[in-house]
Amino acid sequence: MASFKYKDVYLNNFYSVAGIYENNGVLKNVNRYLKDFYDGEKTIEDSEVKMQKEVLNNLIKSNTELVVGGDLMNQITATSSSVVNNNISFLGLYNACATFCGSVITLSNFISGKHIKEGIAITSSHNLASEKQFRFPNEYGAHKPIYTTFTTTGSVGVVVSRFPSNIKVVSATLGSVVDMGIKDANNMGAVMAPAAVKTLMEHLKYTNTTVNDYDLILTGDLGKYGSELFKILLKEDYGIIIKNFLDGGSIIYKEEQEKYSGGSGPVCLPLILFNNILQNKKYKRILVIATGSLHSPMLVNQKHSIPSIAHLISLEVI
Amino acid sequence: MTIFYSFLFCGFICVLGQIILDNTKCTPGHVTSLFVVLGAFLSMLGLYDKIIEYVGVGANIPITSFGNTLFNGAYIGFKSGGFLGLFDNMLCSVSLGITSAVIFSFLFSLFTKVKD
Repeated sequence: MASFKYKDVYLNNFYSVAGIYENNGVLKNVNRYLKDFYDGEKTIEDSEVKMQKEVLNNLIKSNTELVVGGDLMNQITATSSSVVNNNISFLGLYNACATFCGSVITLSNFISGKHIKEGIAITSSHNLASEKQFRFPNEYGAHKPIYTTFTTTGSVGVVVSRFPSNIKVVSATLGSVVDMGIKDANNMGAVMAPAAVKTLMEHLKYTNTTVNDYDLILTGDLGKYGSELFKILLKEDYGIIIKNFLDGGSIIYKEEQEKYSGGSGPVCLPLILFNNILQNKKYKRILVIATGSLHSPMLVNQKHSIPSIAHLISLEVI
Repeated sequence: MTIFYSFLFCGFICVLGQIILDNTKCTPGHVTSLFVVLGAFLSMLGLYDKIIEYVGVGANIPITSFGNTLFNGAYIGFKSGGFLGLFDNMLCSVSLGITSAVIFSFLFSLFTKVKD
């Protein structure tokens, strides 16, 4: 696997928009919450594009050179449509829910190689749009099992730059694709947990550290059942008992909201990271593992199993 | 008493559906199709119409009744028109359900939006 160390890469300001169910007190300083799923637009897809446009409009400055990002819709529609006509280079990425870390790593490599000075990593997801994309449209009214996750609505963008700020990107690992033969499109936690473990162990080996060297290990959207599986896999395969661990999906919704196993979607991790973890100023060294299930509805319908991936970035709060 | 039996039978079908959903990987689509086939099968054995006589509307409401109506339509067609009559008449008796579903979903889609 490819791992990188960076010298002068920083995460500068960010901008976030979140949906109605995320407005529950867990997140702090979100720039705007939506009033409903449509947000004044005609379709749910338009509303996702509108969120991304708002994020980009607030982050783009004269020295922005590149936008890297993606979302969950086919042909990464929301991102491709939100970057039109702004004269900034664009690279679309699709790693499902791992898109955010993938984008930050791509930008970090360009910046530490001194190819560019500043770029924006952006991602978004919309509950209704991604249910339609991956499982059943909501109007079908399908019954859901308890271990399924609820796609988070929102959009987050962050400026990755050479210019110093208090959040430094120290190192990163691009994960490899893991397939454990799971075919259930509702069971994303079980699909992604093995990929997260693999990337974490690879990164620890590369940096010659242990899990106790970090204040927090944050995964994106494993959900309650997926987090348990993550801990069990670490314990049984590597003998590591992990205590400084949080999962974004498990904490983004409160218990009484009854969102099954927790939140998911590419925006779940950055919302928790920027609007909860970094706001608390409690942690100094953070390992962020974004997990994505590279799940194609077509192949699942043809009874194929679901591959998954995890990308990791190591942050240092100064 | 019919009301009570009606409640029990309809509830039994729903419990069966919930048990299948909770314990297998079947989607709601699988369960619906399974119940239609089950209804048609019971109808073939001549059981479903007897159940309706006994429990009343409780057997008419669940989707199994759709299978029963499909089979009855096909059977009537077979008696009057032979093999081709099977195809001719199968959807006749369920036409009320299918046509109204198509027309009303179209009408409602004109002024409603997808919600959570």
